[in-house]
Amino acid sequence: MAHAEGRNLGLVEAEDGAGRQSFVERHRQLLLGCLAVALFFAAWQAVFLVVPFNPLFISKPSLIAKALLDLIASGQLLDDLRVSAIPFFYGFTAAIVVGVAVGIVMGWRARVGYALDPLMTALYASPLVALAPLLVVFFGVGVAGKAIIIFSLAVFPFVFNAYAGVRAVDPLLINVVRSLGGSEMNLYLKVILPSTLPYIVAGARLAVGRALVGVLVAEFFAASEGIGYAIARFGDLYALDRMFACILTVMVIAVALTEAVRWAERAAFPWRSGQ
Amino acid sequence: MSETGAIKANIAIAAEEAGAPSTNPWRRWEASMLGAGSIALLLLAWELVPYVFTISPGTKLFFTTPSQIAGTLWKMFATGTIWAPLGVSASGFALGLGLAIVVGLPLGVLLGRWRTLNAMADPFITAFNATPRLVFLPLVLLWFGLGLWSKVIIVFIGALFPILINTYEGVRNADKTLINVVRSFGAGEWAVARLVVLPNSLPYVVAGLRLGIGRAVLGVVVAEFFGSEEGLGVLMVQASGRYQVDVVFAGLIIFATLSLLMTGLVKLLEDRLSRWRPQRTAD
Repeated sequence: MAHAEGRNLGLVEAEDGAGRQSFVERHRQLLLGCLAVALFFAAWQAVFLVVPFNPLFISKPSLIAKALLDLIASGQLLDDLRVSAIPFFYGFTAAIVVGVAVGIVMGWRARVGYALDPLMTALYASPLVALAPLLVVFFGVGVAGKAIIIFSLAVFPFVFNAYAGVRAVDPLLINVVRSLGGSEMNLYLKVILPSTLPYIVAGARLAVGRALVGVLVAEFFAASEGIGYAIARFGDLYALDRMFACILTVMVIAVALTEAVRWAERAAFPWRSGQ
Repeated sequence: MSETGAIKANIAIAAEEAGAPSTNPWRRWEASMLGAGSIALLLLAWELVPYVFTISPGTKLFFTTPSQIAGTLWKMFATGTIWAPLGVSASGFALGLGLAIVVGLPLGVLLGRWRTLNAMADPFITAFNATPRLVFLPLVLLWFGLGLWSKVIIVFIGALFPILINTYEGVRNADKTLINVVRSFGAGEWAVARLVVLPNSLPYVVAGLRLGIGRAVLGVVVAEFFGSEEGLGVLMVQASGRYQVDVVFAGLIIFATLSLLMTGLVKLLEDRLSRWRPQRTAD
């Protein structure tokens, strides 16, 4: 049975020392993953040997690769990415600063927490994307409009995670710092922030995804540049190879951002990696 | 998982420190009163803005008050104009979510029990889960056209992964000792699944469902914004084009209420299904 096997392998590995295992065995997971991806693209390419190819309906990997190289060579892709990255940066930074501050105050001052919790929950539950058309009309399609949409989507994971993090602070630690004569500032810096940080980073992982949604929503609606706009425009032009190239780029960026946060989480707070 | 437990424990500690056993009614209702009070205060302040500040005609286009929103909401339901678009949105939601459950559950179980397949599927699941599904919208529109099926697909992509991943986690976290015991008594793979794996993964599945619902509602909104001809989302986009801000907010409230309502129902289901459990294992 699969799991028992996995368990035993782990034990054997621990006893024998990892060095004795072959390369394939050690990287089985990774190799299988790469193999599957390669197979997928190969199958995608090969299927059109049998099925008639309609460039208005689907593209194939060879054409997508070519389109991707063209877009990179002409600098168009980088331009679009830069245009999208700037509001992303502003919105996300604002979300971190505001979200963490609000969350920590909510967690530390019980009454503030009581007062804001239902409000925040209601806002978090409502599909705020729905306000995007309004925000676009009001703030325009420039950096400000996009950044505000990104901010309003990305701020809540930070609020809730910082809130939960502060409430999970070990009361014993607080009492110790207090008994030893620590000031309020010491409490924040030595106890609350360090124990809240893992929660905040976990929140960042959620927020990245929501912020990306914000970028795309804003740019689908009304924009004249940016990666979301590029995807929508290539779709309208039936330039499927270039559209797929942009979609793949966004997928790679999304995975890279998410994995980077996850890596940071593991590197900075190894004791939490099991959760 | 353990986070909720920790939080609950801390709330308990905080409550003790605050002297929860006291019979003072203010203490007992403080949390809910403050919560409701802050919302009421916010709404009141919003309502009073036009009386306190003079709003320029330009800004007035974008401005509405809670009472206006409530009036619009009431009118929508009273005249029944809301039911047709709501029905369209609901059918897209239900079909997409249903499809996600039908595909996600068996696939999650399969991936949880079969390591090779899991390793091969992992890059795809990671990629699709990390990527906002909105990115596929132009493609989906191209393939399925404006209308119901594009919406269903977008809802499906959004809701599939939380359900799939949670089912997989639940199956994988099944207690090995229990599996070995059942096995020792001569159970086959089916009996193991029915007696150990399924009951054990149920809380995870329901938690996945809860996440999936949230994402499905978002999927409906987004899909209707960009590629649909009817539905609540379309109503909202059209309204924002006509500066009918109250209609936009009314739509937002309807979506939020539906989302909260359904999440609440699933939560009830979760409590009901995990009643036999000594403590909750998943969140």
